[in-house]
Amino acid sequence: MMFAGPATILFCAVVVVPFIYGLYLTLTSWDGIANNKPFVGLQNYRDAFADTAYWSALGRTAIYSVISVVLVNVVAFFLAYLVTSGIKGQNFFRAGFFIPNLIGGIVLGYVWKFVFNRAFVAIGTALTGHEGASLLGTTNGALFALILVSVWQYAGYMMLIYVAGFMGVDDSLKEAALIDGCTNGQAMRNVVIPLMRSSFVQCIFLSTTRCFMVYDLNLSLTKGEPFNTSVMAAMHVYNKAFVYKNYGVGQAEALILFIICAVIGMIQVYVGKKGEVEA
Amino acid sequence: MLKDWKRWTAAAAATVLAVGMLGACGSNSGSGDGTKITIFNSKSEIQQQLEELAESYGESHGVDVEVYYSSDTVAAHMATKYAANQPYTISMVDAKDVYSLGAEHAIDLSGEKWVSETDQAISVDGKVLGFPVSVEARGLIYNADAIKKATGKDFKPESIKTTDDFKNLISDLKAGGMESPVGVMKEDWSLAAHYLPQVYEEQEDPAAFIKSLHDGADLNSNARWTSLMDTFDVLVENNYAKGDKAISAEREVTEQKLAKGEIAFMFGGNWDWAVLNQYEPTKNMGMMPVPQNDNDMDVQNKLVGGGSKYFFIDNSKNTSEAQQKAAKDFLNWLSMDKEGQEWIVNTAHLVSPFKNNTLEVADPLGKSVKEFADKNMLINNYNYLPDDHYSVLGANFQKYLAGQEDRAALAGQVVDYWKSNDMKTIQ
Repeated sequence: MMFAGPATILFCAVVVVPFIYGLYLTLTSWDGIANNKPFVGLQNYRDAFADTAYWSALGRTAIYSVISVVLVNVVAFFLAYLVTSGIKGQNFFRAGFFIPNLIGGIVLGYVWKFVFNRAFVAIGTALTGHEGASLLGTTNGALFALILVSVWQYAGYMMLIYVAGFMGVDDSLKEAALIDGCTNGQAMRNVVIPLMRSSFVQCIFLSTTRCFMVYDLNLSLTKGEPFNTSVMAAMHVYNKAFVYKNYGVGQAEALILFIICAVIGMIQVYVGKKGEVEA
Repeated sequence: MLKDWKRWTAAAAATVLAVGMLGACGSNSGSGDGTKITIFNSKSEIQQQLEELAESYGESHGVDVEVYYSSDTVAAHMATKYAANQPYTISMVDAKDVYSLGAEHAIDLSGEKWVSETDQAISVDGKVLGFPVSVEARGLIYNADAIKKATGKDFKPESIKTTDDFKNLISDLKAGGMESPVGVMKEDWSLAAHYLPQVYEEQEDPAAFIKSLHDGADLNSNARWTSLMDTFDVLVENNYAKGDKAISAEREVTEQKLAKGEIAFMFGGNWDWAVLNQYEPTKNMGMMPVPQNDNDMDVQNKLVGGGSKYFFIDNSKNTSEAQQKAAKDFLNWLSMDKEGQEWIVNTAHLVSPFKNNTLEVADPLGKSVKEFADKNMLINNYNYLPDDHYSVLGANFQKYLAGQEDRAALAGQVVDYWKSNDMKTIQ
């Protein structure tokens, strides 16, 4: 009680109670502001399952997440390898790659919006001679832009975790493998990477959950445009609950999103941990 | 021993955090002697003026006035404040919000003196709940200097009535060297909350018309739709950004081009002056009705608009009677007092919805709107559209703007939207 009490009470107050209250709200047709909250049973869940815009937003989020997670981790691992391999000025590079992560998603979105709409268009005009359209004006272009910026933002952060992973692998193990006749690639594949498994588990977990819940970047970079084809799941839920004043349905959709995220996260951590090895 | 020490430190730290957090939640009590009222502002362009007003009004009237602004959707922001039991004394909201919130959250203002001075106040169930802040109207914004430069003739907006007149003027402008004389805003609210609703508003009975769409009427053969979309096609054909580019055109760029005279026309409203004004525009601008071939309801001579942004006063127990009184006094001052009227017109640059406010509007777009309003040449806003209308149909309208679908498809989507709508808001 002494030790965990305050934290438990706080956790209940800011997580458990709101969560249960939120569950209750999914059973009402509340508009988000009226005093009475009419009870409607499971109607909101039926509406959520029938909401095609929600499911296409979820599908889009899945595509965005899969591509982003793969790219973020590949890039981050590669960067981590570079900045631990003893190149000149590696501390400077570490700081440099990490900096995008210090800029908030909203600011980052506006900066990149400028880059896509003005800088890239200007470069394109200079190269081809006629004025092209911005990537943000096309359906695939907007998704590509979101992925590009996410990778740019998160790779530096994940890189730090991989750097820690690399440093945690004792050099003597790698050296022993090399002496035993492994090539560099084999040593990496069979010795270093298995020992870094916990870094991979962490990074993939963090990047998956972050990508699935993306909102700030989505809002400032594309705002769902063009044609509402870049609306991600979190933005759809927000709009449903607060902008279209369908609080109950929005809350039900948020719960579905939460369950999907939790299941994916748990499966992935379970599978990842199971194969972990110790040196 | 060492372990004990660590444990105590951790417990102490956790307690400090907990107390700190709880403390942070409960620090909004305390209302001293002077009455304190809060005002929520949802018009970003007048935030600074309102803050200055709060200070000077507070000093001269002995009340403490605080002004807040949020860039959130108004309804979403209201929802969070009411959920937290911290409503503002006076909230500035859109007309539709007065209809949806007013009955439950607003006090009755029927007995106020200003009620008889305006046609724009909002009543629900016979009670006046919404105080109109300003009049705003939609139409075609023109840059007369740019037109004169290209055609060599003075521009007379009343000479352009039909889509064909407009087409002729466009070709004159092109002949005079202006390559694309139009800018079209791609924002979903501009397309589906400002342009598309004209199709409903310019019917004899908008609600009945929407109900007919709900029942599956053929929109694409409707005369008003055809008339407005014919004009929209002319706008799109002459837009400086075409196809995919139309969809990434930024509002600021479009308005800058209009202010500089690179383009001559843009569909918008008098609120656009706040943006245009940043780019040193000519004063020779104004607003005219959207040219149309179908002149039913005299639409060729009227702008669409009316009261925009409404104040309502909170009726909950969080707002004391003294605060409600102070809030009423403030609204009275804004509408009836010479100083308040001055502030509306000359400081906030709004078009007053009150007949007793005869001050001249300084900005050219507002001036146009005031002229139409004074002549009673405004077609009323239809304020009952569902909240997702602008977003869902805005996305479809953007496809039309980008040339990815044709008019029949867009008409079908509008009808489908209404078919699946529960029609709860329509009245």
